Amino acid sequence: MTGTNGPPDVDLDRVWTGVAAQVWLRRPGRIERLAARLLRSPGLARALVVTPSLLIGWVIATAVVLLAGMAATLGTHTPYVALFDPAVAAAGIAYAYGPGIDRAWELSQSMAVSDRMVLLARALAVFGLNAVFGLLASAASGAAVAVTFGWLVPMTAVCALALAAATLARSANVGVAAGMSGWVIIVLAGKAIAGQVTAAVASPSLVAPYLVFTACCGALVLYTTRIPRGAA
Amino acid sequence: MDDDELITAIAAGDDTALRELFSRHAPWLAIRLRSLLPATDTEDVLQETFLAVWQGASGYRPGSAGGWLWGIARRQAALFLRRRGPATLELPGLLAINDSDGDPAEAALSGVVMARAAAALGPDGSPEREVWRLVYVEDRPVAEAAELLGVPVGTVKSRAHRVRRLLRVALRMGTATEGGAS
Amino acid sequence: MNVELEELVRRFGHTQAVAGVSLRAGPGVFGLLGPNGAGKTSLLRMMATVLPPTSGRLELLSRDPGNHAERREIRRRLGYLPQNLGYYPGFTVVDFIEYFALLKDMPPRQVPRAVATAVERVGLGDKARSKLKTLSGGMLRRVGIAQAIVNDPELLLLDEPTAGLDPEQRVAFRTLLREIGECGTVVVSTHLVEDVGAACTEVALMDRGRIVFHGTPHQLTARGEGTGAAGDAPLERGYSAVLAAARS
Repeated sequence: MTGTNGPPDVDLDRVWTGVAAQVWLRRPGRIERLAARLLRSPGLARALVVTPSLLIGWVIATAVVLLAGMAATLGTHTPYVALFDPAVAAAGIAYAYGPGIDRAWELSQSMAVSDRMVLLARALAVFGLNAVFGLLASAASGAAVAVTFGWLVPMTAVCALALAAATLARSANVGVAAGMSGWVIIVLAGKAIAGQVTAAVASPSLVAPYLVFTACCGALVLYTTRIPRGAA
Repeated sequence: MDDDELITAIAAGDDTALRELFSRHAPWLAIRLRSLLPATDTEDVLQETFLAVWQGASGYRPGSAGGWLWGIARRQAALFLRRRGPATLELPGLLAINDSDGDPAEAALSGVVMARAAAALGPDGSPEREVWRLVYVEDRPVAEAAELLGVPVGTVKSRAHRVRRLLRVALRMGTATEGGAS
Repeated sequence: MNVELEELVRRFGHTQAVAGVSLRAGPGVFGLLGPNGAGKTSLLRMMATVLPPTSGRLELLSRDPGNHAERREIRRRLGYLPQNLGYYPGFTVVDFIEYFALLKDMPPRQVPRAVATAVERVGLGDKARSKLKTLSGGMLRRVGIAQAIVNDPELLLLDEPTAGLDPEQRVAFRTLLREIGECGTVVVSTHLVEDVGAACTEVALMDRGRIVFHGTPHQLTARGEGTGAAGDAPLERGYSAVLAAARS
């Protein structure tokens, strides 16, 4: 790197590398450091922190949607939060995935911290974040307790659907579309059959089918991400 | 860009300016440090020097970049030696680094050079060594040293004078043989 | 032996992209030549543990990539540059390289110096904190090379690495390959015949999923002598001669 040389036994390139290492150093934030310790993997923590649907822009958008839902609920007594959150979470989770959103996906597939681990960590983080926001908004909007918590199970099912669709089709957009449309269909079907919009989130009899569906989608996701798929 | 502009850029956080400054100045700084320190220590001190440049560039007043850089290098070398111990440094080199007022006795009290300095004053137990130990190392007032040695105050003073002269001579002789360590 | 392939086959639907390849490679620089569609990329992807073989035996760095734990160990010692790298536009050069260094399970304390070394080795020292979206194609390629070498890999796989590099950069790149090839295995897949001649110690030529030549660049050149095959340089003539013979 240096033009003129110093003393023959002094490695100036090595000295510069030492300086550069400190000057170019990136110091992980508090959340990343905590995640690294909890997950016992600095790589996985970093991957989590750069997830598109966990970046500040997306998080703010989610909060805004739920606040709107909360306001709507307070006004009309229809639990919009319970209806919005699953859709938002499904979109967020689908956007945590693969070739649709990760431009360096081929390279990510050759990493020691496997893309599947990254996907699962991201999906859990997005789900968790949406669940917390949703619970707060739901509780603050005074909805009935059953509805406040009742939508967590359907949310899980819809997220699993979105993720399964995304991994099968290898496209985040397909996942979002599947999740959203799936949820809309369920809600409308609930309204048609039981007469109220909240049927999809408030009926205890649906819990078992939701969970079975979630398990199937989950298995599908594990299957499609375990075997690295060949290129078309 | 000239050196002043580079350093201003560095103060503003431009790492490519630091890289350019390094490629211009690291070689001669390395040569100068190498005349005082072994190779691996030179590398460490040079690295610390440029990190100090990166952090302290805002304190630079346009003028002699070379002088400023050497000042930082010298300070880093002194810090480095204080952490690490005397190792293989020669007396003249140490004095060049600990440039404090030109009083050789004071400079030698950096704690690092005591063995070498003492050796320049004669064998253990000689009058000069004793005065050196009491007045400079143990920092006793001249009157107390005189009491302890059992000699008049004037004798202590003249011996202290001899101590300083001996060290200066050793310095000059050392510098001549080193070929001018700055 | 860092790489051992035995009758490796990879099928997509009804086509065999790789139709029975056997290869052994130790330390050194190994060139993989061939026309487009010859199966070079699929072979490289199998060696990068991104694609599982349909049949045959594959052993990398004395480990079995079919086993989950061993695959992770292989990947820690692997460097891979795909043909289409993709990049995160908002990341800086050092961000990008550091990200993949961490994903390769490099101990965080070693990462800053390793990243700095990799950046300087590919000649991007004055672009270290520039965002990737501001870089040219050749520079992006070099970023890709840097992330591949950041963990001092024992097995380095490069798919068309010199695309977009100017001649001076290609020379520097070949020096880099030779340095890494001293202790590890480098596999370079390229359709640029002259890259191979200058840097590789061994060359394999693939056509339609099979290896049709395996030897030194010198031996490949010899195959072209006196045949009147197409090509401006001796190595190119050897290449054409071997291909023509394989297809007849």
